[in-house]
Amino acid sequence: MIWLQIELMQRALLGCVFAGFLTGLMGVFVVKMKLTAIGYSMSHGAFAGAALGVATSMNPLITALSFASITAFLIGPIADKARLQADTITSIIFPLNMALAFVFLTLTPEIGLTSQVANVLWGSIISLTNNDLVYMITLCAGTMAIVYFVWKELFAIMFNRKLAEADGINTKPFIYLIILISGIVVTFSIKLVGGLLIYALLFNPASSALQFLEDMRKIIVVSPLIGIGANISGLLVSLFLDIPVGSCIVLVSTVIFGITVLLSPKRKRKMEDKREDKIDK
Amino acid sequence: MKKRNIITMIFMDIISLENVSTVYEGERRPAIRDVNLLVKKEELVYVVGPNASGKTTLLETINGLLPIFQGKLSVFGMDAQTHGRKIRCEIGYVPQDFMVNPGEPFTAYDVVMMGRYGKVGFLNRPDEIDEEKIMETMKLLDIEELSPRPMGKLSGGQQQKVMIARALAKDPKIFLLDEPFSNLDPESREKIPALISRIHRKRELTTIIVTHDIYGMLEMCRRVVVMSEGRILDDATPEEALIRMEVSR
Repeated sequence: MIWLQIELMQRALLGCVFAGFLTGLMGVFVVKMKLTAIGYSMSHGAFAGAALGVATSMNPLITALSFASITAFLIGPIADKARLQADTITSIIFPLNMALAFVFLTLTPEIGLTSQVANVLWGSIISLTNNDLVYMITLCAGTMAIVYFVWKELFAIMFNRKLAEADGINTKPFIYLIILISGIVVTFSIKLVGGLLIYALLFNPASSALQFLEDMRKIIVVSPLIGIGANISGLLVSLFLDIPVGSCIVLVSTVIFGITVLLSPKRKRKMEDKREDKIDK
Repeated sequence: MKKRNIITMIFMDIISLENVSTVYEGERRPAIRDVNLLVKKEELVYVVGPNASGKTTLLETINGLLPIFQGKLSVFGMDAQTHGRKIRCEIGYVPQDFMVNPGEPFTAYDVVMMGRYGKVGFLNRPDEIDEEKIMETMKLLDIEELSPRPMGKLSGGQQQKVMIARALAKDPKIFLLDEPFSNLDPESREKIPALISRIHRKRELTTIIVTHDIYGMLEMCRRVVVMSEGRILDDATPEEALIRMEVSR
């Protein structure tokens, strides 16, 4: 455990914990509120924004956050105005963001495939600064406070948005709030796994927790724990096998998801029901 | 003056639709058109009609879940377009064919409690009074033992009862039910309509029930609204409505 004494690794470990917590927590809301299409586009919007930041020598955090927010808040209104499904808009915006990202990265030829570009593409946990950690701690505290105070509204919307609206809850501001926080969380986590893989960080822990738990209060606690576990395990695997951290984190979280699917009592019950239906027929 | 106010309250039209038309997003043809309907306090109205006749749209319009394309809708004398949220806090709504996926991580108790969230208010948390109210409502519908069970594991009929309890938990002044008897087992189909009728009288609710099965409900109501192709065709007593429906066939 000598590596733990290195300040750089301590920062990396703390980064894994905070990013795992935040993405695991927000992933539950994004998945249960059926905002996955928006989350998907937003993640790649952050990637395009970070690429623009690198190309124009601006702070990639600010440009990534701007792009993620613009993408998130454009999808809903565009889908409404153009009378198209959010999925259709996502299918257009996702490749658009990817194309923009690659255009930005080649905009300034002298940048080439420098470490900055590689950081945006694949992430670079060792480039985490103390400032990044302070931002993440602040974000963790802020997110937890918001979730605590508006939990009842978020809980009702996760069950059914239309019914929550029928019960007198104005659902739109809460949906926008979740989209906004998710955009910020994605932006701050991009250093961990890079713009191409950030989507997995948001969805894998929540999807894993939803496989085997039947109480939303437990899911909201377990999903961030899975996120933290996957990030730390991914970091350790990466250290021992000397392969990129981001890829390792995504591989580990995918393995965790695979295991939860195999062991899922919900899936087993569904299969039993299908078997019983076949016998009945 | 006080007496006059009370009299006005008793006889006032709690729900008033004047030439209301509603169009679903992305569609051009109105789902209901030029609907005129007045519902008085404590009235029990059945809305009947074939599929796609606009019955569900009518309930969702009254509940403010659909924007009005044309006309005027007022509930409790307030304009529904501007006071939608306030009005919805006083409406108990049971949606049509509401089925929860088997894996949904919400217990029956959670779902009933959600019915009170609008009344509890922003940033407040449900207290002991709310909890007592939930248990009382669940007891009324004979579903207390379902309280800790996940919604997805309940039968269609049990889920239907939970949704009725959810609507009642908020102590509504208006009770809107969309095909509330469709998923019930034969025993509950006997009991629940009578229970709803009893709750309607006891809690002095203004109740609108959408159903396609008018024959079983005749003895419970005095007014039936018949809808077809988004319009109100008839507004009469059940007996009159039945005779006209038979004649038109």
